[in-house]
Amino acid sequence: MNWKTVRHLIGVDRKSSRLLRGRNIIRYNVKRNAFYNYLFYVIVTAAGLAIGFFAGYLYNLSSADATLQTLINEYYPSFLIGLPTIVLVFIFIFTILQQIQRSGVRFSRQVPYWLPITWEEHTMASILAELLGFPLLTIALISSAIIVFSLYVGQILLAVGSVLAMLGAAFMASATTEIFRILQVRFIGSVYKSTGRAAVWVRFIGSLIFFVVFYVIYFSITTGTGSLFFLQSVASAQNVIWFVPFVWLGLTLSSLTLSLWLQGVVFFVASVLFISSLYLLATALNKRYGLYEPPAIKISTGTYVPKTGFIGKFGFSSIQSALIRKDLKAFTRRRELMFTFIMPIVFMIFPIMSSLNASPSQGPPGTLFWFVYTTLFPASVMAVSLGSFITGEEGQSVWMIYISPISAEDFIKSKYAFIVFFTLAILPITTAVGVIVFHPSIRATIVLFLESVFTTFAIGAISLSNGIKGADFNEVPRPRMMRPLWGIVNFLMCTGVACAILLPFIPYALSLFIGGSANPFMDLYTATAISGVIAAISSVVFYKVALGNAKELLTKAEL
Amino acid sequence: MNNAAVELTNVIKRYGNIVAVNDMNLTIKQGEIFGLLGPNGSGKSTTMKMLLGLVQPDTGFIRVQGLDVQRDAVAVKRLVGYAAESSHLYEFLTGIEFLDFIGDIYKMEAEEKKTRINEYIKALQLEGREGDMISSYSSGMKQKIALIAAFLHKPKLLVLDEPLAGLDPRSARIIKDFLQQLKLQGVTTIMSTHILEIAQAVCDRIGIIYQGKILALGTMNELQKMAMLPSSGLEDIFLKLTGTDDVKAMVEELLK
Repeated sequence: MNWKTVRHLIGVDRKSSRLLRGRNIIRYNVKRNAFYNYLFYVIVTAAGLAIGFFAGYLYNLSSADATLQTLINEYYPSFLIGLPTIVLVFIFIFTILQQIQRSGVRFSRQVPYWLPITWEEHTMASILAELLGFPLLTIALISSAIIVFSLYVGQILLAVGSVLAMLGAAFMASATTEIFRILQVRFIGSVYKSTGRAAVWVRFIGSLIFFVVFYVIYFSITTGTGSLFFLQSVASAQNVIWFVPFVWLGLTLSSLTLSLWLQGVVFFVASVLFISSLYLLATALNKRYGLYEPPAIKISTGTYVPKTGFIGKFGFSSIQSALIRKDLKAFTRRRELMFTFIMPIVFMIFPIMSSLNASPSQGPPGTLFWFVYTTLFPASVMAVSLGSFITGEEGQSVWMIYISPISAEDFIKSKYAFIVFFTLAILPITTAVGVIVFHPSIRATIVLFLESVFTTFAIGAISLSNGIKGADFNEVPRPRMMRPLWGIVNFLMCTGVACAILLPFIPYALSLFIGGSANPFMDLYTATAISGVIAAISSVVFYKVALGNAKELLTKAEL
Repeated sequence: MNNAAVELTNVIKRYGNIVAVNDMNLTIKQGEIFGLLGPNGSGKSTTMKMLLGLVQPDTGFIRVQGLDVQRDAVAVKRLVGYAAESSHLYEFLTGIEFLDFIGDIYKMEAEEKKTRINEYIKALQLEGREGDMISSYSSGMKQKIALIAAFLHKPKLLVLDEPLAGLDPRSARIIKDFLQQLKLQGVTTIMSTHILEIAQAVCDRIGIIYQGKILALGTMNELQKMAMLPSSGLEDIFLKLTGTDDVKAMVEELLK
């Protein structure tokens, strides 16, 4: 294996990712100081060291409290032993999500396929490149913090072992993701072939089910009492599932801590062999399926018959209807956009899992909070996501919008209608789920439903206007759709306007949580009406802002 | 009555310090097939983008079919069919869905849309693949879809950037003959290409653009006279006029 080639390939991958983060910050036509490549790692390591020293300082302060120090001394080694497994789970989830968001159509990593590069080099670069960035930053933060803190606690050897095991676990997770990526391309290709015309819906529903199951498991582990249990019990759980190779690194640490030297060496050697076999398997699969082209998805057969304009019956012109139909196909066929429809489901799962984990003594205010969360949040999040991405999702094909006789009015009306229609479509579902799970009063249900409608209109308009202004049409290696700075601006603006819309309800919230002592000075329905007026004004203002932004977009045609 | 399909008057476009189009004056007549030639970066694409109102000139004005492009870009786009060199089609749509989308954007009647789409699909041999997602198409098939999209709504002006790139010989021949027939119907075509044989065979007049300026403009005979190469082909004329006729020396240098 030529490590120089591997290093270059990693560089290609990281640069293509970095280009997405802003061309103005990093200029590739100028030779950059290599220091900037490592700046984030230096900052994070420094932060980790600071955390470690601070924790150590607190530990020393607690010397008067013998019970607390005993607790720390008892649980800290278990924490260090469990860390590699925790890091493995975290990086596996992260890298899997990264893979899913990558553009299925254009993929920069295919370029080296016709260069004299071996599959071993290609696979190694792919696994390592996946680790750079957020996963490695996390490891750097944790490592520097635990090494410093372990000096105070007297566990420095175990901490060093834990850091090395974390690096091994990270490689393990990334190699597993690489295997998953190759297999899913091959497997999905076979599914498309066998399902024929239904392939698009199989993919859409399959993705929905995958994410729902994924988040149910994730939230069941991390919410309520589950999260504490998870952190505390990783070390002991590893012993129970000793036959699973992914925990062998953790078992190496626990064996060595208990002075079971032979067992420790066995688990260590087994871990090294397992990591090697994962890499070899990924390489073998890449050799076999790396150049695999999924079969074409055939959606229609026979003579073409134009669709009668169903959307046109709602008062949309043929241009607007065509844009809405096109966007619907984009959001249901493009893997990276399906996530938008999955997010409301995730937001419903979270409170449901929390309520299942919560104590049965939870009172009405708590129940109402979760009902608000279940009803209002999914719709708002969906409006924000759709509004933010619906312009940037055009990608390089925005060219078609530029060259077509589409006015800014047509563009905005169709995009806004899409956002509002699909957000309002999920609202009855989220409300029904909230009613079934949390049993709110009819009055609360009606008011909250109306508030969700109001915020949908306002937040949809804000996100659309910001989504145009901050649109990012780059597609490789994954479509970002909106520049991060504009994402933050949008989040702040949406939060601000949503708070303004809900402002008339503050007296009610106070009376509910404080009890009878706070007397609402306004009738609930009057508050709803005032809230509606605020939402209507916000919607109109930001719709006009969006229109202005669209005019600018269509005349500049920056591609 | 003004017979001009396209008029550019004193058009200047700068990108920072670079002058992409330098005081260009050009008139293209109705029903003319006009070839716009020039080396890479000479200003061809910028000129074509300005015709559609995608790029605003810094000074000067542009009229397409009598309409001011800067003032009414949407109305101009309605009259124009455009196919870019690397068309970015919606790859999650099928060929048919994409053309249906284009038909709706140009407000075509359902029956006319159906008839024309089916005719083009058959003529360019896309039958059997029209229901597949565009992401699975070859570059030639994508080019065919882009060309159909440009022709579909019967535009009065066609702006085609490398229209025959990636096409098989049969389809290329169909497109060339089709452009000649459209010319008889009064449709104007502005074509940019690096394949000079195509320009020589198809275009009525040719404009050679270099460093943002029209260097030479005329019929093939007029260009031959201008370059003082009476019996030469367009390639020799182009190389002489654009000052890149030192090809032989460069090849010899590369062979060392």
